[in-house]
Amino acid sequence: MSSDLQWLLLRKNNSFIVKRVVEGPVFSKEPGNLRNLNSYKYSGLANPKTIDVSASESGVTITTRKAKASPNAVAGASAKTVIRPRSGGRRALGVAASVVKKGYRPDLRAAALARVSALIAAQKEPKPSPPKKLRGKKALAIEAAPV
Amino acid sequence: MASRPTVNVRTVSGEASSSLPLPAVLTAPIRLDVVQQVHKSIAKNKRQAYSVSEKAGHQTSAESWGTGRAVARIPRVGGGGTHRSGQAAFGNMCRGGRMFAPTKTWRKWHVKVNQNQRRFAVVSALAASALPSLVLARGHRIEQIQEVPLVVADEVESFTKTKQAVALLQALKAHADVVKVSNSRKLRAGKGKLRNRRHRQRRGPLVVYNEDNGVVKAFRNLPGVEIVNVRRLNLLQLAPGGHLGRFVIWTQSAFALLDDIFGTFDKQSVLKKDYILPTAKISNPDVTRLINSDEIQSVVRPAGQKVQKRPWTQKKNPLVNKAILFRLNPYAKTLRRQELVKQERAKAKKAKKAKTPQSAGKVFLETLLSA
Repeated sequence: MSSDLQWLLLRKNNSFIVKRVVEGPVFSKEPGNLRNLNSYKYSGLANPKTIDVSASESGVTITTRKAKASPNAVAGASAKTVIRPRSGGRRALGVAASVVKKGYRPDLRAAALARVSALIAAQKEPKPSPPKKLRGKKALAIEAAPV
Repeated sequence: MASRPTVNVRTVSGEASSSLPLPAVLTAPIRLDVVQQVHKSIAKNKRQAYSVSEKAGHQTSAESWGTGRAVARIPRVGGGGTHRSGQAAFGNMCRGGRMFAPTKTWRKWHVKVNQNQRRFAVVSALAASALPSLVLARGHRIEQIQEVPLVVADEVESFTKTKQAVALLQALKAHADVVKVSNSRKLRAGKGKLRNRRHRQRRGPLVVYNEDNGVVKAFRNLPGVEIVNVRRLNLLQLAPGGHLGRFVIWTQSAFALLDDIFGTFDKQSVLKKDYILPTAKISNPDVTRLINSDEIQSVVRPAGQKVQKRPWTQKKNPLVNKAILFRLNPYAKTLRRQELVKQERAKAKKAKKAKTPQSAGKVFLETLLSA
């Protein structure tokens, strides 16, 4: 079954579609959708080759569909790459880009890299905020007080 | 077709043991519109008749007062001694009157659907149930299962205990779909609660068997799981709500029987008289493949060079900027040239006409000097 036809069958109604805003963008929640948009290009269901970038306990996981897998296979058809936590932005993007570099969905390069860096940024531990400086009367009171 | 793809048959513990060729039904054309339309009609066939009472609103002896009493001519309840007397009755606009066009029990509750259309819809729904993407899109939790269509050994048909059924689903990694159903169980909104439809829940896998040696009893208590004989496949179960891609678990012999039940593209069905599978309108629905085919590529014009348009450039005024004007209107150049040439000529003409001062005439001089 061609992926074009599959897309026609699922584009209007599937369990992942999110239509919240009237006249707004139509989103999609399915795994493998890099921009979470309901479109053929980004669809994680219709396309025979997909790149899934998702956060996991072991950092960021990149799941692709094996090119040689039978179209009927489900669980066995996915190949996983893990970007370990604290790999740093450059290495993480390199891992993501290497998937695309092999000629596997080069059109998704920008989207995949963007998603990886967004996840890396989100997983980063936030810096502790600097202690608050006192102002006005309180600051004066402390200054005046004998040390 | 060179070699038909095969599907693995899984043992009770979930490993692939043998394999079966993919039945032709599962490669039949998928027509969403046919399925939806047939489902809409078939779903009407289980309705119960309802109507308002035949007598409702007509249980008074009201009669119109006629004209001359400065009130509307609607029938009015006669008599006295109660508020009701003198009130309007019968009409759909009256309090206590009958409704407009009272519903009747002899409404047309059922819809006939042509047999071939019904079969087309079932065949389409079956073909859709063999595509992982469509099954996922319907919302079934099949991410962990090995294969779609999922075929299990015939041993399953002689299961008698729900415990065995659960163990099987867990071994197949299909139990997540039952858990999904279990978690989705919610109280129904509205009056349905009082009418034996207290809860609403998702649909789980559909188990299709060939011979019931206990499967039905083993599976029937699992939430959302439905069990059906291959010979009685039903669109309402294969495409609930008209949505394609039900998760189907086949037993081996049921799966093997599909070619007999629905026939193939060139062989008639054994169980349905003179039935042959519908053929697809186009043999290759792959658009990329079509575009890149020799037939099309040999006809289309070669691609021109890429035009990279720069976004956000400054807008130029063509009335002021000549280059932009000429780009918009190439004839403007000729017009301007012609105008210039015209002016040049006019100037030349004028210059020629300018009178060179001539010496005064003889007669003129004579008269001038004679004085």
